[in-house]
Amino acid sequence: MNKVLISVLGSDQPGIIAIVSNVINKRNGNIENLSQTLLNDVFGALLQAELGEDDSAEALQQAIEAACQDMALFIRVHSWSETTSDWHQHKPEVQPYIVTAIGPDSQGLVAEIAGKLFTHGVNITNIQAIFKGGDNPMNNLMVFEVDVPRATEMNDLRDALDDIAKRLALEISVQHRKIFDSVSNILN
Amino acid sequence: MLNPKEIISTLQMVREENLDLRTVTVGINLTDCVSDDIERFKRNIYNKITHTASKLVSTCQRIERRYGIEVANKRISISPIAVVAAPFNASQMVEIALTLDKAADELGVDFIGGFSALVEKGMSAGDKALIDAIPQALTESKRICSSVNVASTRAGLNMDAIKHMGGIIKQAANMTAEDDGLAAAKLVVFANIPQDVPFMAGAYLGIGEADAVVSVGVSGPGVVKAALERAMNEEEGMDLSRAADVIKQTAARLTRAGELVGREVAQALGLPFGIVDLSLAPTPNENDSVGEIFEAVGLPAIGAPGSTAFLAMLNDAVKKGGAFASSHVGGLSGAFIPVCEDLTIAESARQGTLSLEKLEAMTAVCSVGLDMVALPGDTSEEMISAIIADEMAIGVINKKTTAARLIPAPGKKAGDHVVFGGLLGEGPVMAVNMGSQENRFVRLGGRIPAPIQSLVN
Repeated sequence: MNKVLISVLGSDQPGIIAIVSNVINKRNGNIENLSQTLLNDVFGALLQAELGEDDSAEALQQAIEAACQDMALFIRVHSWSETTSDWHQHKPEVQPYIVTAIGPDSQGLVAEIAGKLFTHGVNITNIQAIFKGGDNPMNNLMVFEVDVPRATEMNDLRDALDDIAKRLALEISVQHRKIFDSVSNILN
Repeated sequence: MLNPKEIISTLQMVREENLDLRTVTVGINLTDCVSDDIERFKRNIYNKITHTASKLVSTCQRIERRYGIEVANKRISISPIAVVAAPFNASQMVEIALTLDKAADELGVDFIGGFSALVEKGMSAGDKALIDAIPQALTESKRICSSVNVASTRAGLNMDAIKHMGGIIKQAANMTAEDDGLAAAKLVVFANIPQDVPFMAGAYLGIGEADAVVSVGVSGPGVVKAALERAMNEEEGMDLSRAADVIKQTAARLTRAGELVGREVAQALGLPFGIVDLSLAPTPNENDSVGEIFEAVGLPAIGAPGSTAFLAMLNDAVKKGGAFASSHVGGLSGAFIPVCEDLTIAESARQGTLSLEKLEAMTAVCSVGLDMVALPGDTSEEMISAIIADEMAIGVINKKTTAARLIPAPGKKAGDHVVFGGLLGEGPVMAVNMGSQENRFVRLGGRIPAPIQSLVN
C-alpha cells in the first residue's frame, strides 16, 4: 500500500491531465480516483493514486513538476494513509439539505454561513457560487449542499441563518434536497 | 452535485412563480358512522374526522418547512353526506353541516367538502333532504363546501334535479345577499364528478375509496406562464409544438413536487396516498393566473378568438405532463378557468372580451366548467337551470367532468362588481344575453337519456 494524494492547481490549459496521468503511468502508478474543477479560468484537480513499487511521493512530485515545467502549475504529492477523519469514521445519520443564499456578495458571507453550519454540526459536501451581478437575484446566489445530522435542531439552524440573512440583506433558504431531485429529475 | 441551473429553476418556481401545493386533502370515509339517531351520528362523524386528521395541519406545516414549499390549504373531504345521513330530514342535515363545520374549526383546516349528493339518475329521500338543506347549511357554516352530481355519461341528465338546483342556487345566493351571494360560491353542480378531487368546492370521498386517504392538489399557473415566457423570449423558432412541450415538462415538474410532499404527509399520518391532481388553479393574485398564460402565448386576452384552441392544447399538455410524472394522477387534472378567482379572467370578462357564451364554449375543452361565474341577481331559477343543463350536456357527451358554480348576485346587474373574498376572489357580474327568463324546456323535467357513448360494455 503506497498511496498518494495529488493536487494540481493553475491556469487552465490543454494537457494538464494528460501530462500528469502519463507521468504516473510511466512510473507504474495507477490513478484510483480523480476529480477536476474549473473556477473561472483556474484549474484544480485532486487525484488519488497507488504508486509503483519503489516510488515515493517526493520523487513523483519532482517528476510531475519536471514534466509540467512551462505550465506554471502548483503541484503537491502527499503520502496518504487511508485513515479518515473522525466525522467519516463515526458518521452520524444525516439528511441532505440545500442551503441557498440569494443576494449581493459581501465580505464574510461564506464565513458567516459556513461558521453557523459548522456550529450546528452540519457538514458541507459541495459549495457553488454564482455571482454575475445585476438586478436578477438569481444571478447572485450561493448554494451549499450539506449533510445535516439527525441531532441538529432544524429550527435553531434556521433561526441562526435567518439572523445572518437579516444582517447581510440576504434571502437564505434551507430545503431538503429531495425537492430539487424530484423536480429536476423527471426520468428517475 | 446538483446542477446550478436546476437549483435556480426550482428556486424560481417556489419563490417567484407561486408554485404551491394548493391543498393537501384528507379523504375520510364516514360510512361506519351511520346511525338513525341524529345525536349519535353527529358524535360519530365529529369523532372520526377530528381523530383521523388530528395531525394534518401540524404535519403539513412541518413538511412545508422541510421542502420550502407552501401548502396553501389543508382540507378534508368526506363520504357524500346524502348517503351516510340518508335517514335525516333537511333541518337535521343543517345540524350535520354545522357539526362538520365545528370539526373543521377544531382541526384548523380551511374547508371540508362532501356535503354532497349524487343524483344523476334519481333522487332518494336523503338526497332531497340534503339538497334542500344546502342554502341554510352554506349560509350558517364557514368551511363547508357542497356539490351535487346531476348528470353522467352513463346515466344522462337528471333534468328534475337540474330544475331543482336552479331554485337551490337562487335561495343560497339570496340568503347571503349581504355577501353578494357567497353561499352559492361554495356550491357546485357537476356532471361526471370524480371521486377523488382534492380541490374545492367539489371535493368528496367516493364510495369506492379507502377508509382514509391523502390526496394533493398542485397548482402553479405562474410557473407555466414563466416557462412559456422564457421560451418565447429566448428560443428561436418557438412555435406551438414547442410550447406544448414546455407546458408538458413544467406540468411534470409540478406534479413531482406535489407527489413528494403528498407521499410524505401520507406517511407521517400513517395513511395511504391517493392521487396528485395537477390543476392549473388560479388565485386572485398576480402571477397566479391562468388568463396570463393565454397572454403569454400572444392571445390579446382570454376569451378572444383562439382561446378555445389554446385552452384545448393547454389542458391536454398539462394532463400529459402530469400522467408521465406520476402513476396516480386523478381528480380533475387540467386547467381551471374560474372567472372570479382569476384576476386576468375577471378583467377580460369585465372588458367584455370574455362573454358567458364564449366561456361555455371554452369549458368543452377545460377540466371543469362554468366556474365562479357571477350572474345578475334577477336571473330566474329556470334560466340558471337551463345554463346548468347546457354545461352538463357538454360533459355527458364528451365523457368528461363539467361543473357549474353560478352565483346570481342579489341586487346586482351585469357589469357590477362582486366580492367574495379570499381564494374565491372578486369580479364582474356577467351578462346573460339569452332571451326570456322563462324556460318551458326546463319545466318539462324528466331525464335526458344517456348518450350512445354510454353503451360501451
